[in-house]
Amino acid sequence: MNENKKRLIARFAVDRGDRFEILTRFEGETIQRERIEHQEAKAPSLMPRYPAAVWFERKIMEDFGIRFEGAFDTRPLLHHERWPEGVHPMRRDFDPDTVLEEAPYRPYRYATVGGEGVFEVAVGPIHAGIIEPGHFHFSQAGEDMLHQEVRHFYKYRGIEKSCEGKSLTEAAPIVARISGNESVAAQIALARIAERASDTQTPTPQRARQALLLELERIIHHWTDLGFIPNDAGFAAALAYASARAEEARRLMAALTGHRFGFDAIFSGTEDWDKATINAWIERNFEAIEWFESWITDIPSLWDRMDTTGILKRAEALRYGCVGVMARASGLERDVRMSDPFYTERGFAAALEESGDVAARFKIRIAEIKASLELMRRFAEEAEAEPYRIAEPRDGAYDAFVESSLGELYLYMELEAGKITRLFFRDPSFVNWQALPTLMPGNIIADFPLINKSCDLSYAGNDL
Amino acid sequence: MFRYWQRRFKTGVLTENPQLDERLSDLRKRLKKGIAKHFAGSLAIRMVDSGSCNACEAECNALSNPYYDLERLGIRFVASPRHADVMLLSGVLTFNMLPHVLDAWEQIPEPKWCITLGDCPVLQSPIERTFAVKGPAGEHLPVAYHIPGCPPSPEAILEGLVGFLESMED
Repeated sequence: MNENKKRLIARFAVDRGDRFEILTRFEGETIQRERIEHQEAKAPSLMPRYPAAVWFERKIMEDFGIRFEGAFDTRPLLHHERWPEGVHPMRRDFDPDTVLEEAPYRPYRYATVGGEGVFEVAVGPIHAGIIEPGHFHFSQAGEDMLHQEVRHFYKYRGIEKSCEGKSLTEAAPIVARISGNESVAAQIALARIAERASDTQTPTPQRARQALLLELERIIHHWTDLGFIPNDAGFAAALAYASARAEEARRLMAALTGHRFGFDAIFSGTEDWDKATINAWIERNFEAIEWFESWITDIPSLWDRMDTTGILKRAEALRYGCVGVMARASGLERDVRMSDPFYTERGFAAALEESGDVAARFKIRIAEIKASLELMRRFAEEAEAEPYRIAEPRDGAYDAFVESSLGELYLYMELEAGKITRLFFRDPSFVNWQALPTLMPGNIIADFPLINKSCDLSYAGNDL
Repeated sequence: MFRYWQRRFKTGVLTENPQLDERLSDLRKRLKKGIAKHFAGSLAIRMVDSGSCNACEAECNALSNPYYDLERLGIRFVASPRHADVMLLSGVLTFNMLPHVLDAWEQIPEPKWCITLGDCPVLQSPIERTFAVKGPAGEHLPVAYHIPGCPPSPEAILEGLVGFLESMED
């Protein structure tokens, strides 16, 4: 394993009318551009070198009809069994209002392990709980998981295409609703792009307002997980406690933005913030997380389930370019906030664990609630309840990174005459989902829900 | 565990928190009465997400937190459609989910009701009808009631369920 290999952040295409262009973003580099002719739409595949390229390239194949030479996986990704063939929705000449008729059923070939006594378990798309749809396909030897394939895009809504032709202001409510778990983060990414496209700088009080809401969103998400992870190990008391804290955090979000999820909050809302309420909430939550930690640390039967379960090896996290809690629980200090002086100047340091198991991801979430509360204290002093106003943007290509509650979120946009001509949204989950199957071997299928919940990835953000 | 019970007694019952006003307690009474009358005291809901942003699901999950504690009103979210009275459908109905949603609907025994949750399934949210969306839900399913919101708050969902029960009186 070569530790120095670059991290693949995103790979996507744009239709330039007379040609295609494939854009590839590696960490620490500017975007690489490959020119692809319409007549001979093919490019060399990155799959053999970068496993996360598999979904990126399969998506490009369907979105644009570009072939990849040397690709070892060319199965449909977004276009499920009944999609008509030869439809490439991200091409310029494709009308987003096209009504597609169901084509004859074409079965999907799952990647499975064969052999005597090995059987398959198909789970989803509709799951037992109140969760998003997706399909997990297991190859089992008794209770042992030999292999798992993650199959998604059941929620594929055509969001990238629907944003084309819209102004930033018109696209903002859509971007805010790509994924309810990371709405604030996505809105901030859009605000960063609007800022770059208008050569403006967000004043500190306004930036602090955005950052405070982002940390609150993270706290809501982490409290939710701190309840559901133990619940999936049969420890329901933790869910009762943590879900009450998540509810209180959501109510604070509603008090600050007028919306329990902060939808559209970055661009609207002018009410003054009651700083005393915010500060009192922060102190109560601090006390709650300290108590929760000391309590839950003392439940040995719970840690027995979480320790050494579902390990993401550091080498695999590197190979896939994992981000967010998954990366940080496996010893990789990957956090967009670490490269942003706005955070580091306010004393932010990313939480880090080494063991890569469910327990590590659980501990990261506890540590990050504390870190987010510290940040909120600072931001509350500086923030002013002033929403961000989108200024007239210049034409061009822009991108932005935001550390959402799920990890590094990447947004890319091209603007022409004030309208979006291409929007590409890479949810942190898009790379992390691809690494998820590496966590399974050596674990029993009964631990899958626990492992999956400890990663808590987004389906909606991934599927778009 | 001792510490937990200590905390538990100190905290008291959140469900009776003064934040939840009279209107809500009235809502609860009507809900309980309607469920007793129409569903023999137990309403089983199969929640199906057909392409939401996950906010509607989060609010349904929130209904089980100690502040709302839905189960004590006789409402349960069930794992299998075969145990359900009602399908609660959230999200825009995507091309990829439609056959699975219809499968789930078929598995619910009669009598059954479909309630749409949130602005998406009726295509009233900012998420647009595109080539990948087969909505509105009413074109594919016999929708009995709609609960609006983006997402509807836990209170709005409770209110919506009361509305659904009262619509059965007609």
